[in-house]
Amino acid sequence: MSVANTASTSQTKGFDLKRSLLETIVAGLLALIVFGPVVGVVLDGYTFNAEPARVAWLVGGVMIGRFILSLFLQTPTGQRMLQGFDSGGSGVHVLAPNYKSRLRYIIPALIVIAIVFPIFANKYLLTVVILGLIYVLLGLGLNIVVGLAGLLDLGYVAFYAIGAYGLALGYQYLGLGFWSVLPLAAIAAALAGCILGFPVLRMHGDYLAIVTLGFGEIIRLVLNNWLSFTGGPNGMPAPSPTFLGLEFGRRAKDGGVPIHEFFGFEYNANLKFVFIYAVLFLVVLAVLYIKHRLTRMPVGRAWEALREDEIACRSMGLNHVLVKLSAFTLGASTAGLAGVFFATYQGFVNPSSFTFFESALILAIVVLGGMGSTVGVVIAAFVLTVAPELLRSFSEYRVLLFGVLMVLMMIWRPRGLIRISRTGVVPRKGVAP
Amino acid sequence: MDGIFLQQLVNGLTLGSVYGLIAIGYTMVYGIIGMINFAHGEVYMISAYLAAISLALLAYFGIESFPLLMLGTLLFTIVVTGVYGFTIERIAYKPLRNSTRLAPLISAIGISLILQNYAQISQGARQQGVPTLLEGAMRVEVGTGFVQLTYTKIFILVAAFVGMGLLTYVIKYTKLGRMCRATQQDRKMASILGINTDRVISYVFVIGAVMAALAGVLITMNYGTFDFYAGFIIGIKAFTAAVLGGIGSLPGAMLGGIILGISESLFSGLINSDYKDVFSFSLLVMILIFRPQGLLGRPLVAKV
Amino acid sequence: MSQTFYKKGFLALAVATALGVSSYVQADIKIGVAGPMTGANAAFGEQYMKGAQAAADVINKAGGVNGEQIVLVKGDDACEPKQAVAVANRLVDQDKVAGVVGHFCSSNTIPASEVYDEAGVIAITPGSTNPQVTERGLSAMFRMCGRDDQQGIVAGNYIVDVLKGKKVVVLHDKDTYGQGLADATKAQLEKRGVKPVLYEGLTRGEKDFSAVVTKIRSAGADVVYFGGLHPEAGPLVRQLREQGLKDVKFMSDDGIVTDELVTTAGGAQYVEGVYMTFGADPRLLPDSKAVVEEFRKNGTEPEGYTLYAYASVQALAAAFNGAKSNKGEDAAKWLKANPVKTVMGEKKWDQKGDLTVSDYVVYQWDAKGKYHQLEKQQ
Repeated sequence: MSVANTASTSQTKGFDLKRSLLETIVAGLLALIVFGPVVGVVLDGYTFNAEPARVAWLVGGVMIGRFILSLFLQTPTGQRMLQGFDSGGSGVHVLAPNYKSRLRYIIPALIVIAIVFPIFANKYLLTVVILGLIYVLLGLGLNIVVGLAGLLDLGYVAFYAIGAYGLALGYQYLGLGFWSVLPLAAIAAALAGCILGFPVLRMHGDYLAIVTLGFGEIIRLVLNNWLSFTGGPNGMPAPSPTFLGLEFGRRAKDGGVPIHEFFGFEYNANLKFVFIYAVLFLVVLAVLYIKHRLTRMPVGRAWEALREDEIACRSMGLNHVLVKLSAFTLGASTAGLAGVFFATYQGFVNPSSFTFFESALILAIVVLGGMGSTVGVVIAAFVLTVAPELLRSFSEYRVLLFGVLMVLMMIWRPRGLIRISRTGVVPRKGVAP
Repeated sequence: MDGIFLQQLVNGLTLGSVYGLIAIGYTMVYGIIGMINFAHGEVYMISAYLAAISLALLAYFGIESFPLLMLGTLLFTIVVTGVYGFTIERIAYKPLRNSTRLAPLISAIGISLILQNYAQISQGARQQGVPTLLEGAMRVEVGTGFVQLTYTKIFILVAAFVGMGLLTYVIKYTKLGRMCRATQQDRKMASILGINTDRVISYVFVIGAVMAALAGVLITMNYGTFDFYAGFIIGIKAFTAAVLGGIGSLPGAMLGGIILGISESLFSGLINSDYKDVFSFSLLVMILIFRPQGLLGRPLVAKV
Repeated sequence: MSQTFYKKGFLALAVATALGVSSYVQADIKIGVAGPMTGANAAFGEQYMKGAQAAADVINKAGGVNGEQIVLVKGDDACEPKQAVAVANRLVDQDKVAGVVGHFCSSNTIPASEVYDEAGVIAITPGSTNPQVTERGLSAMFRMCGRDDQQGIVAGNYIVDVLKGKKVVVLHDKDTYGQGLADATKAQLEKRGVKPVLYEGLTRGEKDFSAVVTKIRSAGADVVYFGGLHPEAGPLVRQLREQGLKDVKFMSDDGIVTDELVTTAGGAQYVEGVYMTFGADPRLLPDSKAVVEEFRKNGTEPEGYTLYAYASVQALAAAFNGAKSNKGEDAAKWLKANPVKTVMGEKKWDQKGDLTVSDYVVYQWDAKGKYHQLEKQQ
């Protein structure tokens, strides 16, 4: 309730107790109206039970919080924080030409940690991190579309579904395994991106958003309704990955040999996840590298230029359809990859994993990470997938807190955790400017 | 002609008018600050809870006559939902007024998670409902068959159109409406001319919430049941309706809602209800490909 | 068998008393309760938790399992398969549970059971009725409920034999549970020579089914069968009645077994006469009388899956006690070989982990909004 009323900052020095009290009373009144009926009157069939104590606690809490906040914002520190919130700033932050990023040290350190990690982690931790890495892939893919090219895509989950179902369907009907589907799914998703992209790319911003949303829903509904082909809501089994034809299960399922029997060691249920983790980690590294290079290539620059001003780009002779299509296709193929990993990690796919909420979550990763920022996306993907797991101990308050976290993070850093920055260049001497 | 087709039309019209009422919230907010308010469906959901709570309270105080119940519930729900709209805007959107276009979108997704779980925690996970207030139906003979119109449905249609009419009057002829339209056309210019645009934006959120509240009362009356998850599907449908009609346009929202309702109803009635949503979304995509600004939207003019 | 169970209990109690304080130092045995604790189906998660907790309390009072006290660990999957896998791994690795009671949605139980199987943890689901749950050759997956194909046969036969349905409409909610059930019923109807005049899916979460209802009207149906849960069943039956189809018989499944059906239908007058299939009401059994009374004394009605969860915990405890081991594999072997006396009567499992006797019967709702087992079943 609170951050809001403070937009009208006063320049007064010292404490204005009267104003704080007034704000507190207003906040309390609002809280009473908002919480009073819904929290205080609990429906029970067509009658109700009154729970005034809960309302009193909530309203009291809001009033005290508002009062403290109001006082705090009048202190010099508070004033400075407010200033921090208001600063808009431009999209791209230009660094000095000879700036050396601290990432030089952090990235190798992270890679070392990532390599050592499976040795210490138990299966639960592994699965959480695998899920985090899958979302990193998804975030990176959508980042190309939304962050770099500026095309708002609300149906991104469709390409993810294509990848996941690609593995399940390929296994079921064509007998393909994890390794052959991995590239095929990327190609299939890219093709789907191309087919969807072509007609819709002449649309503007938010109309594009709703069309992609529609596309995402159509894919999900077809997967759900086409019972004879996709198994409908029952879903389909997806195969585990194999290592040179060796399987990770306790018993061989697809006619292969279980790896623990082949090498003659004790069965270890973690091994499958360690293997998925390792492959996924390599793929993420590769995608990170490719993306890093792409943003410095002409096509990457063209994406960003198009995001900033489409008309200017087109008048400079940029083929906007091709540029947008390339972003769409690349983004889609990354999601296809992520889908394959998701299917093999879960061992089972069904349409309820590909709802609109999933698209929204991926979008949240991109926005929270800082549109266009690669490092930001990686951090945000982990924050948003690990946070719900960390919050598990709050049981039923888990998702509520997750929502609060999302709003607070947006207010705290509306431009995302990491701003896009770009190293400046100095023109070489002797070259005509 | 055995009345089946006509019955499907009526079904679609009721459903569509409800979509339309919620679509107004999306379209007005989009028109004024260019933001898709994803939490709007959840505002409707809260209003459904409020309607049920107010009915339970009124019944507790021994009020039984339908007009009094209706009036009390409408007033209560509209006022409290309006406060919800105001508060949400203050907390989650206003601090983001000058940031990127997508920031409020994410904040809205956060708010919708909060509202869903807030309702679940405070009211319990169970299905909620209201008793049937208006029983009985009107049967219109058509040829060999008949069209069955429950009194509730008639009431909904009338109330929805009265609500729309009132809103159109407010936007067209009152000072508040003129301020809204001015802010929509050019926010900077409006503020130079002395309009407190921040306040106008707050009003718009309140108006959107009020229309959602009206829809909440009507839908709750008609279907009798809802839960904390009710806002999601209807929110997406209403948003689709708003885009279909041309986002930013008030009559467009209503028209889009009705077209969506009728097309869903006819498709599932004549062909197959499994694929009705596929059909509605395909229809939307088709319309947008050939008419990117929606049915009644103003064409976008790119400015350099 | 109850004697052995209680004897074991007393034995454990005796041992515990003999050991005195030292038994408190002993490690607890953890049992996971997994299901939708949040999300649209949270009501069922609540029932699970209530039932499991009550059973654990009673068993603990009687000395626990192999001398250890049962501690329940809650696992929330929100009915999302993605979360089910994470929760399953967490229960297995982090919490080191010996057994699991769960999950609820079949689409969650299936992927989660793979995790339990790999880890050698015994799992028993009180509510997942999809045949696939036990059809995949897992060694330690059990269920406390019947299977959709069994339930569908009962429903199909009842429609043909008792309701004398000629023009039957079969609807479902396009979800693993509802559609699986509708398919089973449809298959049984066709086997009995009644081809459904309409077979369609509704969308979960929607409330307006008037288009489908009008279609039912134009098909001239006399029986409507719906495979799904109460949030859709309630509005569906109400809209049927509102469109003037007062004589069409409505039948559904064990997904509507909750008082909330009345709320969702907008009043008891709409649910009057609704038929449904459900396991013989555990609340009516002589074995459950004391337990049900205990629940009611604490102010909760043990409806729906509450007693199923209760019985599941009992079965797990009995299996651990019987096998004299907290290992899932031993317990599973024991459970497949021995019957267990539960609050829902004596239960026996086959090699797949299904109950040997399915006890689906037909119920009918009355004008007061309560359901009763029907006398006439055939």
